Amino acid sequence: MSHFLDRLAFFKKNVDQFSNGHGVVTNEDRSWEEGYRKRWQHDKIVRSTHGVNCTGSCSWKIYVKGGIVTWETQQTDYPRTRPDLPNHEPRGCARGASYSWYLYSGARVKYPMIRGRLLRCWRAARAEMTPVAAWASIVEDEAKRKSYTSIRGHGGFVRATWDEVNELIAAANAYTARKHGPDRVIGFSPIPAMSMVSYAAGSRYLSLLGGVCMSFYDWYCDLPPASPQTWGEQTDVPESADWYNAGFIIVWGSNVPQTRTPDAHFYTEVRYKGAKSAVVSPDYAEATKFADIWLNPKQGTDAALALAMGHVILREYHLDRQVAYFDDYARRYSDRPFLVRLAERDGRFVPERLLRASEIAGCLGESNNPDWKTVAIDEATDALVAPRGSIGYRWGESAKWNLEEKDGQGRETRLKLTLAGDGAEIAAVDFPYFGGRATEHFVATQHGEILTRNVPVRMIETADGKQVKVATVNDLLMANYGLDRGFGGENVASSYDDDAPFTPAWAERITGVKRDAIITVAREFATNAEKTNGRSMIIIGAGMNHWYHMDMGYRGVINLLVFCGAIGQSGGGWSHYVGQEKLRPQTGWTPLAFALDWARPPRHQNSTSFFYAHTDQWRYETLTAAEILSPTAPEGDWSQSFIDYNVRAERMGWLPSAPQLKQNPLDIAKRAQAAGLEPRDYVVKALQSGELELACHDPDDPANWPRNMFVWRSNLLGSSGKGHEYFLKHLLGATHGVMGKDLGAEGAVRNKEVVWRDEAPEGKLDLLVTLDFRMSTTCVYSDIVLPTATWYEKNDLNTSDMHPFIHPLSAAVDPAWEARSDWDIYKGLAKSFSEIAPEVLGVEKDVVLTPIQHDTPGEIAQAFDVADWKRGEIEPIPGRTMPAISVVTRDYPNLHARFTALGPLMTEIGNGGKGIAWKTAHEVEALGALNGVHADGAAKGLPKIETDIDASEVILMLAPETNGEVAVKAWQALAKATGRDHAHLAIPKEDEKIRFRDIQAQPRKIISSPTWSGIESEKVCYSAGYTNVHELIPWRTLTGRQQLYQDHLWMRAFGEGFVTWKPPVDLKTIPGVKGLRPNGHKEIVLNFLTPHQKWGIHSTYTDNLLMLTLNRGGPVVWISETDAKVAGLVDNDWVEVFNINGALTARVVVSQRIKPGMMLMYHAQEKIINTPGSEMTGNRGGIHNSVTRTVLKPTHMIGGYAQQSYGFNYYGTVGSNRDEFIVVRKMATIDWLEGPLPSEALKEAAE
Amino acid sequence: MTGQASSRTFRALSVLLTYPTAELAAAVPEIDAAIKHEGLLSPEAAQRLQPLLAELRAMDLYDLQERYVALFDKTRRHALHLFEHIHGESRDRGQAMVDLAAHYERGGLLIAANELPDFIPLFLEFLSARPLDEARSLLKETAHILSLLEERLAQRNADYAAVFTAILSIAGDVSAIADGMQASDEPDDLSALDAAWEETAVTFGPENAIDGCSADRLRIQMRAANRDARRGAA
Repeated sequence: MSHFLDRLAFFKKNVDQFSNGHGVVTNEDRSWEEGYRKRWQHDKIVRSTHGVNCTGSCSWKIYVKGGIVTWETQQTDYPRTRPDLPNHEPRGCARGASYSWYLYSGARVKYPMIRGRLLRCWRAARAEMTPVAAWASIVEDEAKRKSYTSIRGHGGFVRATWDEVNELIAAANAYTARKHGPDRVIGFSPIPAMSMVSYAAGSRYLSLLGGVCMSFYDWYCDLPPASPQTWGEQTDVPESADWYNAGFIIVWGSNVPQTRTPDAHFYTEVRYKGAKSAVVSPDYAEATKFADIWLNPKQGTDAALALAMGHVILREYHLDRQVAYFDDYARRYSDRPFLVRLAERDGRFVPERLLRASEIAGCLGESNNPDWKTVAIDEATDALVAPRGSIGYRWGESAKWNLEEKDGQGRETRLKLTLAGDGAEIAAVDFPYFGGRATEHFVATQHGEILTRNVPVRMIETADGKQVKVATVNDLLMANYGLDRGFGGENVASSYDDDAPFTPAWAERITGVKRDAIITVAREFATNAEKTNGRSMIIIGAGMNHWYHMDMGYRGVINLLVFCGAIGQSGGGWSHYVGQEKLRPQTGWTPLAFALDWARPPRHQNSTSFFYAHTDQWRYETLTAAEILSPTAPEGDWSQSFIDYNVRAERMGWLPSAPQLKQNPLDIAKRAQAAGLEPRDYVVKALQSGELELACHDPDDPANWPRNMFVWRSNLLGSSGKGHEYFLKHLLGATHGVMGKDLGAEGAVRNKEVVWRDEAPEGKLDLLVTLDFRMSTTCVYSDIVLPTATWYEKNDLNTSDMHPFIHPLSAAVDPAWEARSDWDIYKGLAKSFSEIAPEVLGVEKDVVLTPIQHDTPGEIAQAFDVADWKRGEIEPIPGRTMPAISVVTRDYPNLHARFTALGPLMTEIGNGGKGIAWKTAHEVEALGALNGVHADGAAKGLPKIETDIDASEVILMLAPETNGEVAVKAWQALAKATGRDHAHLAIPKEDEKIRFRDIQAQPRKIISSPTWSGIESEKVCYSAGYTNVHELIPWRTLTGRQQLYQDHLWMRAFGEGFVTWKPPVDLKTIPGVKGLRPNGHKEIVLNFLTPHQKWGIHSTYTDNLLMLTLNRGGPVVWISETDAKVAGLVDNDWVEVFNINGALTARVVVSQRIKPGMMLMYHAQEKIINTPGSEMTGNRGGIHNSVTRTVLKPTHMIGGYAQQSYGFNYYGTVGSNRDEFIVVRKMATIDWLEGPLPSEALKEAAE
Repeated sequence: MTGQASSRTFRALSVLLTYPTAELAAAVPEIDAAIKHEGLLSPEAAQRLQPLLAELRAMDLYDLQERYVALFDKTRRHALHLFEHIHGESRDRGQAMVDLAAHYERGGLLIAANELPDFIPLFLEFLSARPLDEARSLLKETAHILSLLEERLAQRNADYAAVFTAILSIAGDVSAIADGMQASDEPDDLSALDAAWEETAVTFGPENAIDGCSADRLRIQMRAANRDARRGAA
């Protein structure tokens, strides 16, 4: 029988194999999988981003479970791009992906912290006194003050309550305002675009107080002054998606895959599409791997390379053969047709300033601003004309400020580029040459200090009957580039192999790059532009901008782009990505940020000049004006020190001052009344008589010290503070590592305008308050540290240069521990301040001095000469020859009421920016309906700004970029000046109003606005200069065109009328310290470069073990194998790096990647992580800025001169740092300095 | 309930690890009395707490606070959050905190303070509300972290180490765990150093999974944290 009953009818036997043995059944415990499942479970996902120091502006998903942030991943829901353009995402990088660690990290600041010694003094005083009196009793007692200021950086923190610290800070601010003036309260916070409400919180508080907001873009040396010089624009650049439209990309001194990680995919994609790429980098940086051709010039010689490329392009595309597109572009969009006066000197000529309509009899028919209308020759009539678009047309009249090919009377013109031709007169014109001044670290060439070249000129008669020679910018430019055009004479080349500036052969000597490579790249770049009408792009970075003579490198590059008609064309142009930010809804933000809704003007200060003066770096200046002065400088005394130049710029109204006057600005109005004068007239008179003094003349006088300082969203002392050790010594009075002697000790005091005090102050600040979520280096040196919300714990707005979207930071969870958002912190401070202010302050009149501002009618101040009222050369006229003077009413007891309401000036005056203005009452009304209005109090009936979301809505409602109705108004306002219709750019979006909840749902693309020179459309990517070229809106410069010639007196004096080659300067930081304290190891000298790193965004993330593990776990410097061999170093050795500015300690990375002669230390590795003591200073090793000191440049101080007028973060001195040299040597002893503070220091501090 | 006998000792140890305030200084006699009364601590462990108690009672409050901040608020090395030592910057930390908070909730307690679930004083307060047996077993699970902190604090000559000694004495015999925690890196033995630092391959499955809160995991973390930056300079 069959085994019927043996068979199972309903079951099958438990099998251990299936699928022919490919599958196996097991029964083991699988509960371990729970862990993986749970990992992807969450309660909610919230959209946020990383919001201060990275311009990536990437949208992230924050996962929250049980009220705890568990992790983050990249968002992938950006709006789609148009067909044939890759999408933006995924955006993000390893740094952002590790951010959530900060929320619960041991490194987090959890409570308000204060130095125990300060709190002890405060509580003792407060037990007996009112708040302001209590603060006075501490800071007016030198022993008490020193008890806490001298231990800055040495710990001793205790926790405090919010109420207590708020009261203390408010009391300090009120005391300072009453005693010294509100302009002694200063605040530093950078890059608002990345979390603009958090920035605005502090700047709004300061502005209502009359305090000073410090600039950052110029201080970071991320501002390229060449941009305002050329375009009248701070910086405007293409979004990264526009890289995809390029046909040829040069990446120059920028490291896209490493520092622009979320954008780098467009660079990859366009190469798949067929674009060619050249990378210029002295070291084998990550970006070089993208290159079809790698040019590796000696660091700091980029200008020479650019000049040689310009030489090739002018020769082949403008002279020997004229490309029609380039020629047309040059005539319409550059200053090349304009006429320059030539000044006679020893029978030869020097280019002087641009000819003006007022110099011609009858002013060429122009009665409005003829001093400011530049002149060219019309090709058809050969007559002088004053073409439209120059700055004279911008102010005082309407409808003629445009780039139409017409003159002021509406006659058609076609401007002539060259005077060369039949019977043209030829004149010998002098050009300066600085290439012989190179130090031993660079190649010096012997071509003479003055290069005389023949130029076609024309003689014209001026209104005063004089005969003056003129030449076009174009003809001078050709001569400047050393091109032989057959006019005879010397210093020009007909062959690329000639050793004459600026041929490829000459550049090969200086840069080390083979001439063939230079020629090839120049040719291919230009040929691509010729074939595509300008789709050649240069991505440019800090590798070029951080040099003292950055303007030369930049202008060299800008010229290449202008020669090729690439500016203003999608896929072409100048992509400067250095600390770049784009606060897209800028005009909606400025009223909130600077309290323009309550009082105007705010106090702004350029940080570079401020820190140069107030950290006393000027007292150690080693560079003299003579070293950088042009051999062709106009006559005059140019020998002053840089601080003198800066002081002159301040008193002439070119640059801002803080503090402004030695006297308290709250007392001026009363003094004026007593003298029976209007405050404005009184200030003018009293400054002349000496009754009032400008504080800048004596920065070391205690009356002129900054007293209270706020730092938020920043690590000023651990990252961006050039001359770190000078900050510690003079501003803070802390332990420092400055090794050099000041000029007094060296017997080299040169300043004439500024008072020299033999004893330098140490510890100018009474109070340093820092807001942060982590214990940064700046926190370590602060008196009070306030715990802020992290980027996943607050609501804010975020925009970038790199893409056109606006998106939020959102509070995924409440701030942990005692942390609060920046908005809530400053709001709480405002409340405390209002409560205690009546002790010493009521409604006060504050006299505010402001420099002459760019994009205002005042920017046309002195057309021809530089006249200084202090020297009696001209009358002091506020806003014209000296700072403007305004009286602002401060209502101190109602500061909180004002902080939390949108003030009446928005309705009464309106809003605007960049020289245009519009009414905005309708938006104010809408905000009242949206946010609600205050029911009573000092802000009764005004829209509320109570929360960070309310504040965001103010920005979104007022800005053209996020409110289509405002965009249309703004374009219409611009149309009045240009006489052309622009509103078509915004009308399709007139009904669009972006709200905070909208961007939380999905990032939104902004609306085109006249604040920016690019547009957002379905057809083109955002590209800078687009509306100048396509809408014929002038650049905001003297000629209204892209200005390749800079004619200001100071520009000519320092030899920067045209771009030229200037070797890095000699900062003389080595002789005082090399061999000073030998430790038995060899000392070698290298150039010190500080590019951006891969394992952090500035100092953020670098304290996180993940990033530390990916790098070397602490500070490192990179050197070449060649130099390592000379110095006897092997990889991972501990080395000390030092010069007279200070010392730092780090491990050394020895790499083939590095070019001999340079040391590379990635920016902002903090000394709070694994940093041993220095053998040179005996203190803990410093940060990268311990070996730097900032040096000012006079050409950056120019003001009141069209595009060279001051604007906050727009123009001014910049903190360059790459000309530094250092000594490096192996360390003999590694001392971690882990003991207690030496008893002596303790004793001294306690006294 | 058996927990009653121990509840005040756990609370006393909890408050001893909180930020010193005038209130805490005033409560020192009460803390001392509670510990002695309950007798949960061995006499030696109780005795070792005396220097800390004396300081809290007598030392200048600002000095006490500065010391506390320097020890616990400013360095991760002595952080009073359990998972800082185990998970550090790992993404597992969030889940571990969620699990711990859920455990408290199952015990009937909701976190009211603005603190994380793994804050040791908070954890001790939770234990004070649990039966002693359960408290002991929870303590044993965390003993490796607690003994690490005890060790590190002792190196700093901090009297706070005594609090951890006391907590561990309640947990019972944990010496085996604690011994295993000693870092065995020999700076001069390069091959041993390499072995200790060798990355383990990532594997999936029950045999190789490392329990997120186990001593093994902590050992890995400690290796990273204890890495002596001075080494390799020679």
